[in-house]
Amino acid sequence: MPAVLTVDPRSGVPIYLQIIEQIKRSVALGVLAPGEQLPTVKQLALDLTVNPNTVARAYRDLERDEVIETAPGRGSFVRANGSAETSRAAASHVAAEALLHAVREAKSIGLNAAQVRALFDAALARWFPEEQ
Amino acid sequence: MSISIERLTKRYGKFTAVEDVTIEIPAGSVFGLLGPNGAGKTTTFKCMLGLASATSGTTRYDSKPLTPQLFEELAYVPERSALYEWMRAGDHLEMQKRAFKSFSAKRADELMQLFSLDPRKRVRNMSKGMRTALSVVLAFASEPRIMILDEPTSGLDPVNQRSVLKLIIDASAQGATIVLSSHQIGQVERAADHIAVLKNGKVALSGAVDDLKAGSKIVEAIFESDAIALDGLANDTRVTRLEKTGRILRVTVRSGGDDVAGELSSRGALSVRVVDLNLEDIFLNAVDSGIQTAEVVEAVQ
Repeated sequence: MPAVLTVDPRSGVPIYLQIIEQIKRSVALGVLAPGEQLPTVKQLALDLTVNPNTVARAYRDLERDEVIETAPGRGSFVRANGSAETSRAAASHVAAEALLHAVREAKSIGLNAAQVRALFDAALARWFPEEQ
Repeated sequence: MSISIERLTKRYGKFTAVEDVTIEIPAGSVFGLLGPNGAGKTTTFKCMLGLASATSGTTRYDSKPLTPQLFEELAYVPERSALYEWMRAGDHLEMQKRAFKSFSAKRADELMQLFSLDPRKRVRNMSKGMRTALSVVLAFASEPRIMILDEPTSGLDPVNQRSVLKLIIDASAQGATIVLSSHQIGQVERAADHIAVLKNGKVALSGAVDDLKAGSKIVEAIFESDAIALDGLANDTRVTRLEKTGRILRVTVRSGGDDVAGELSSRGALSVRVVDLNLEDIFLNAVDSGIQTAEVVEAVQ
């Protein structure tokens, strides 16, 4: 499990957000299976060499978002119930973030909405040729 | 155990080392104290520990003043080694064992091996890094609830620095409250959840690392001409720094980056970009001259 997680503490993105993002992505991609146990807060903090309270905060947010659940005394697990839904939600979250980022970049270099839409259509045509 | 430093001031004659410093250290947190040399970090630690008497102000541990009993549960790694030159490493372990009930000889052994220290070696024959490592071993061989670590990685190689970080993280996971100073901002960025930046003895900035990162941005806007309307920006409470280079305006904000980006767009920017800042950027901005007017920065170039 730790192998799928890497954080960049020197990035400007808060570490707890990086952990949340990566666990959601792993769940979306099925790298983390429903019911799979996550490392303890302490273990993940030591593996990543980051503050344990930061890891605990990420776990709390993931519980709130119903991606993981914690059984007192047993540890934290990827949610098994409604996991298809969770993983779809996680997947669209990851995709939405990436799209937002791309659109913001396009806007920041001066493209207008029509130009961005044209680029988006071209990308769709490339990756979904059968649906065109 | 929470630690509250309230309005701490320390003067040495006419020199004010620490002035009106108020810092709240939450129980169980790893608190990074950052600042350039001479900013007052070590003086703050000494006052917290009663090793220097504050000119005014207080430090409270769980709302209570420091008591001799509390020293049992407290570990301090001083910036300048407090080791005795003529003693062997093993003698220091023996002393520590008598002073601290929670001292574990087994753990001390493991830590000595971790840092490849020889208990028979005399302090006078140790390098700077070995002295730091021995101080770290002494601190972590017991199970203190409070740790005050003044530059606990100075002189250590990267492998041993990483070992110290892991010890800090492990102790934090066990519930210890840890206050740490280091010039290695990358280490503080990993280990700490809260920081304060001292500058000339005063708190220039403090907060949760994640909140500071989430709020601090540089908004970079490119305009059509170098006549950029800056009115109001220098007084905006969100803005900590303005920098204008020809047609490019860089606005450092503590919060509201996206809103400021929107405002710059409506002021006619051709392109606006919001850039994340890491802890080093945030630190350097805090110890730099703070809010600067565009004119000042322009004149510097």
